[in-house]
Amino acid sequence: MRGYKTYHRKKILFFFMVCLVLMLILMGRLVYLMVFESEYYSQKALQLHERERSIKAARGEILDRNGKVLASNRTVCTISVIHSQIEDADAVTRLLCEQLGLSEETVRKKVEKVSSIEKIKSNVSKEIGDRIRKADLAGVKVDEDYKRYYPYGTLASKVLGFTGADNQGIIGLEVIYEDKMRGTDGIIYTVTDARGVELDAVGESRMDPQAGNSLKVSIDINIQSYATMLAEQVMKAKEAEGVSILSMNPKTGEIYACVNVPEFDLNQPYTLTEQYLQLRGEKLTDNTQDELNRMWRNNCINDTYEPGSTFKVITAAAGLSEGVVREENRFHCPGFCVVEDRRIRCHKYGGHGSEDFVQATMNSCNPVFVAVGLALGPETYYEYFEKFGLLQKTGIDLPGEANTIMHKKEDIGLVELATMSFGQSFQVTPVQLLTTVSSIVNGGNRITPHFATGIVDADGNSVEEFSYPVRQGIVSEEVSARMRAILERVVSDGGGKNGQVEGYAVGGKTATSQTLPRGSGRYISSFIGFAPADDPQIITLVVIQAPKGVYYGGTIAAPVVRKLYENILPYLEIEKSSKDTERE
Amino acid sequence: MRQKARKRRNKKEFFYDYTLLLIVLLLVCFGLIMLYSVSSYEANLDFGDPAYYLKKQIFATVIGFGVMIAANVIDYHIWEKFATLGYVVSIVAILLVLSPLGKTLNGARRWIFIGGISLQPAEIAKIAVVLLVAVLICKMGRGISQWKGLGVIIVVAAIPTLLILLVTSNLSSAIIVMGIAVLMGFVADPKYKKYFLLALAVVVIGVLWILKVYMESEGVSGTGNYRDARVLAWLNPEAFADDDGFQTLQALYAIGSGGIWGKGLGQSMQKLGFLPEAQNDMVFSIICEELGLFGAFCVLLLFLMLIWRFMFIANNAPDLFGAMLVVGVMAHFAIQVILNIAVVTNTIPNTGITLPFISYGGTSVVFLLAEIGLVLNVASQIQIQD
Repeated sequence: MRGYKTYHRKKILFFFMVCLVLMLILMGRLVYLMVFESEYYSQKALQLHERERSIKAARGEILDRNGKVLASNRTVCTISVIHSQIEDADAVTRLLCEQLGLSEETVRKKVEKVSSIEKIKSNVSKEIGDRIRKADLAGVKVDEDYKRYYPYGTLASKVLGFTGADNQGIIGLEVIYEDKMRGTDGIIYTVTDARGVELDAVGESRMDPQAGNSLKVSIDINIQSYATMLAEQVMKAKEAEGVSILSMNPKTGEIYACVNVPEFDLNQPYTLTEQYLQLRGEKLTDNTQDELNRMWRNNCINDTYEPGSTFKVITAAAGLSEGVVREENRFHCPGFCVVEDRRIRCHKYGGHGSEDFVQATMNSCNPVFVAVGLALGPETYYEYFEKFGLLQKTGIDLPGEANTIMHKKEDIGLVELATMSFGQSFQVTPVQLLTTVSSIVNGGNRITPHFATGIVDADGNSVEEFSYPVRQGIVSEEVSARMRAILERVVSDGGGKNGQVEGYAVGGKTATSQTLPRGSGRYISSFIGFAPADDPQIITLVVIQAPKGVYYGGTIAAPVVRKLYENILPYLEIEKSSKDTERE
Repeated sequence: MRQKARKRRNKKEFFYDYTLLLIVLLLVCFGLIMLYSVSSYEANLDFGDPAYYLKKQIFATVIGFGVMIAANVIDYHIWEKFATLGYVVSIVAILLVLSPLGKTLNGARRWIFIGGISLQPAEIAKIAVVLLVAVLICKMGRGISQWKGLGVIIVVAAIPTLLILLVTSNLSSAIIVMGIAVLMGFVADPKYKKYFLLALAVVVIGVLWILKVYMESEGVSGTGNYRDARVLAWLNPEAFADDDGFQTLQALYAIGSGGIWGKGLGQSMQKLGFLPEAQNDMVFSIICEELGLFGAFCVLLLFLMLIWRFMFIANNAPDLFGAMLVVGVMAHFAIQVILNIAVVTNTIPNTGITLPFISYGGTSVVFLLAEIGLVLNVASQIQIQD
């Protein structure tokens, strides 16, 4: 071999060995990447290849105390387009315009938009969804979804609330128990190429959605329906602006009925009702959202009012507890009283004359209660106000509970004290008043008013039972018993006569208060009544806003409670008392 | 004497490096299968023909085999006379890229277009430099052991290297051309010192450059030039995932998701448009994804065997010219394979280098097969002395 020497062989072997070493290093690098880092890169790659589509989970139902469904779900469809998969854009646009009733411009814009997935419309009925699916056009996706459905429409609308486009609670119990009722959405993973085109060959994997749990509430649909009917009757008869009825178990705080007429249709919450439009009349503004919010208000909880004479229950309880007044104490009512430079009138022109404290309560005599208030003094009165829980919210499980509007402690002079004694110059919510009166007549336990009692799963098994705080010793058992007796007399022989129910002893107190500003001629009539008087198992507050004609609470509000109790006391299997039967 | 000569002739007729031929055939066929697997999805979307790239590659491969057979039959000593001519032609071809014949593909101006066929002149330059340097080394004799001898070789290689770099901004081809020349010099030269110094200089310059780019990037971002950005993307591909690190990162996803046994032939996800131009430089990453670590090792072993065969033939070549030709080809394959795998696995910065026989590229496969034909002819002239 010419010219080729041993050193050439050595050199070439050296070169080969270098190549070998380098290749071994690269092999090591490959082992590192493909064995030790494999997990990491596989995961990254999978994230890149997969597209997620969510499957909506069914929301839990709302069940009344007997298990009747108050809020349920309906299957609806969400229509979307996947730009990269559309083959015939014109056909797709035409189909969607036709079926969904959208303008061609809107649809075309979305169809032609370069995005991975574009939602055209949600909450489309299943029938339309099926029709679109049947047309089988490439790039059109029909995903099944759930929409909230309320079988009773307007019933308890301001309590239950409704949900929005994503099935999230907007108002009412739907908001408060959002987390309990919302299910866990499922996910469909589809594998796509870099352009976002789904690969049929790979198929899809899915995580099934988990339906939410159902909420059990204390509302009784029969009581709620009947109360709603009564509220509507009185509203129509008195041409009132609104009627609220709040009915509760005074021992537990479970609310049987919460009516605020006019109600609205939960299945169409964004439509102002005919009734609402009529009531608003010329005051209607162009701000639709404002008007909707006003329509959705739960007056029992979101609004405060001057409770008027019903508040004398609280003054009486404070007076009895403090010992500044006893049932047999006698008073004289000349038809007015003078506090500092003010002359406060009794509602009875000429006065009630001589009367004991029980009679004064039956007569709802203002001067007597002013005297009791003054005897307590501002400090003590304020202390009781606080002790009874009136300065705090009740803690009811609905959003937007209003605070009590009250004088500052240091601003309470004798005049303020005098007006407060008979329920004026401050404001509370109806639910606050009802809760406080409940606490006074139930033996002195400040209960928490509430709707939700527990959570059950789809099969009806209990998942969670709710318990609510109770504060004991608001008043003594003895004062509570005396208050029950006094209030029973109010109904049996006093201003609350119209609240009598045959066969039952009912305790209660009426109220008629003029709304601010005074002299407007607008009144709020109310009646608070509980039964049986010696062992209250139900307590109800009726508030009638701005009735026309006769506006006395004893005349128009008390009969509502009577009618309600005539039906629901037997329904609740509350025994008749022999004493009352005798009296009749 | 006469008897001896006959004996020698008989051996000559009998010796043929079937092993090398088999390895090459395996690689070429495997390359075509992988090319189809890698490119069919995108080809179908872009051209409506899943075999778009395959057809072009088969066409080039057929030509390549024609050239290989020709080179196999023609005595390699004839090429000695064409060495200077080939060198000049290749330089003119590179310059032609600047003429209207030049063609831009994928944003890079690296091709010339003659008679309906596009050519990459850098590929011609590689074989031309192998030939000319082999000729020069033989002429120089002992002169190669002087700095001057090595200097001549380096200058000869530097002209096409710089042209490739400046005209076509093709760093990898430039590295290959220069690398071939220096490696041929190394083998021809009895001494080591010069080459170690050269290697050391290259490493030091490389490290300094990387350090410089790295330091600068701490202060200023996004102002670096093309190759600086590549270095930064190499250091941290995930931070540059949107631009320079994108291809590298996608390749790493492909490699990593392959695991030990791979997803199976045709099952790559990354080739579905995630890894851009998967059929070119990054084809090896799809091999890793589909055939796993096992498949990747098989490919590497095939190339190692190929290089081993080159060593065997060079060591037994009938004369220095033949040996140097084979060394040149060996250097070409070794550099290209090692650099490609190193780039794909992000072991070094991205230079944009193809994998012989497997990456898509017509000119490349034709000239690679021509080089194989040349080596086979050298092998067929091996005289075995017992």
